[in-house]
Amino acid sequence: MTRLGKVYGPSSAQFAADAVRLAAADAGLRLAEVDGLLTSSGVTGGISVDLQRDLGLTDLRLLSHLQAYGSTAGAMIQFASLAVMSGTASVVACVFADSPLRPERGASAIYGTRHAPAGWWGLLGASGVIGANPMYALAARRHMLRYGTTSEQLGHIAVAQRAWASMNPAAQLRDPITVADHQASRWIVEPFHLLDCCLVSNGGIAVIVTTAERAAGMAQPPVHVLGWAQSHRGRYLRRDPDFGLRSGAASAGPAAMAMAGILVTDVDVAELYDCYTFTVLLTLEDYGFCAKGEGGPFVASGVLRPGGKLRLNTGGGQLSGYYMWGMTPVSEAVIQVRGQGGARQAEAHEIALVSGNGGVLDHHCTLVLSSDREAS
Amino acid sequence: MTVGPVIRDEATAEFFDGTAAGQLLLRCCPAAHYSEPAAAQCTTCGVTELHWAPAAGGAALVSWAVTDAKAAAGEQSKRTVLVIAELDEGPWWWSQLDGADADDLAVGLRLRVTFRRPSDEHEAVPVFVLAGS
Repeated sequence: MTRLGKVYGPSSAQFAADAVRLAAADAGLRLAEVDGLLTSSGVTGGISVDLQRDLGLTDLRLLSHLQAYGSTAGAMIQFASLAVMSGTASVVACVFADSPLRPERGASAIYGTRHAPAGWWGLLGASGVIGANPMYALAARRHMLRYGTTSEQLGHIAVAQRAWASMNPAAQLRDPITVADHQASRWIVEPFHLLDCCLVSNGGIAVIVTTAERAAGMAQPPVHVLGWAQSHRGRYLRRDPDFGLRSGAASAGPAAMAMAGILVTDVDVAELYDCYTFTVLLTLEDYGFCAKGEGGPFVASGVLRPGGKLRLNTGGGQLSGYYMWGMTPVSEAVIQVRGQGGARQAEAHEIALVSGNGGVLDHHCTLVLSSDREAS
Repeated sequence: MTVGPVIRDEATAEFFDGTAAGQLLLRCCPAAHYSEPAAAQCTTCGVTELHWAPAAGGAALVSWAVTDAKAAAGEQSKRTVLVIAELDEGPWWWSQLDGADADDLAVGLRLRVTFRRPSDEHEAVPVFVLAGS
């Protein structure tokens, strides 16, 4: 990964190229050994298959640009795994980068002004529904109304992740917070306070996917991809009785865990996509860490704090660490499975469960990563 | 907050002709399934033979969220209630609810569609008010 956060100057494409170079060097590879490249970009775009030329990669056997929002990173790793298993390519670099932050403007200006004031998108914005914040707030309210989930309960997620972030040198926000701080932070869109919402970051992250045989000879401990599944519900801005109550995690999670041959109780580290605190709560329920509707009491029980029963978003996630879409949970899972988490390293780190979510709970990807080739 | 400016494009021209005439136009298939106005095919049966049909205007509250516009010095901040409402024809609609206190809302609350323009040059935008108001 490149430097992340308020890093000004490089374009998204430059961050992406740097991330691929760093990932190859980390694996002990020469860049020329990469024969597959999957690219993805965030809100500012600026990344395409042209990245091949930027990196001077020749004679690639796999090249594509993917976009399934926050589920893209997991999907890239799934496609890269299929490619190396089938022999389509042997060493595939998967990269995400974005550079929305500018020194002279605030984070809210970036994600709030995407919709041109014309056509259907213009109509949604003109109606007052501008950007992702109100959409997720409407989702969270449904959960609160149906199951009695409270803002204080969501606050426990923010507080626990900040505590984890305090042990992550790469995290953007490291000062401890309390549930009272969460409650006192300004409203973004009720029921979301500021501390329910993720950061905005500049930077790039890449991973290298290859066969287990090849990985065994590389510079880092291998991280095996034991399971994957996607779920794309196709109900964005449509009538959806499950909206805010159940996401694609409810189908992709069990499918990925079945492929890996694990149960949710086998998970040592969970790195769950956290565009908002609420996304974590919903994913915990959908994955079966607690029963449907019991996410609020579950997260408020202290289970997420360092030293608690569950090791969740151990780098601070996107709420406190860095906002690299699906690459945030992927990168922290890789760090943990390798045992390189330093002060925040989980003692048991054989199995990591990773989620990606996007399109206002419409797209989901789950990965099961492991230090071993097979779940024991 | 009031509604913002929006201009029509090719895809939304007929829809905004409808809002100008006080109608929320939906897409309707020969089997009388209603889909949202942006639908290219029926969301129930998949057929592409769709015609425009006005919604009756009744709806039920599904969810709500509240934005706090930043207030200028000396002014009280203006809260806007954003809602998902289920139109009586079936489709959901995302807009704001005018003239209601966020503390008095409940799922299923009856709403009615009306229309607001930010100025005469801009298109009329569907919003909700409490039924009976």
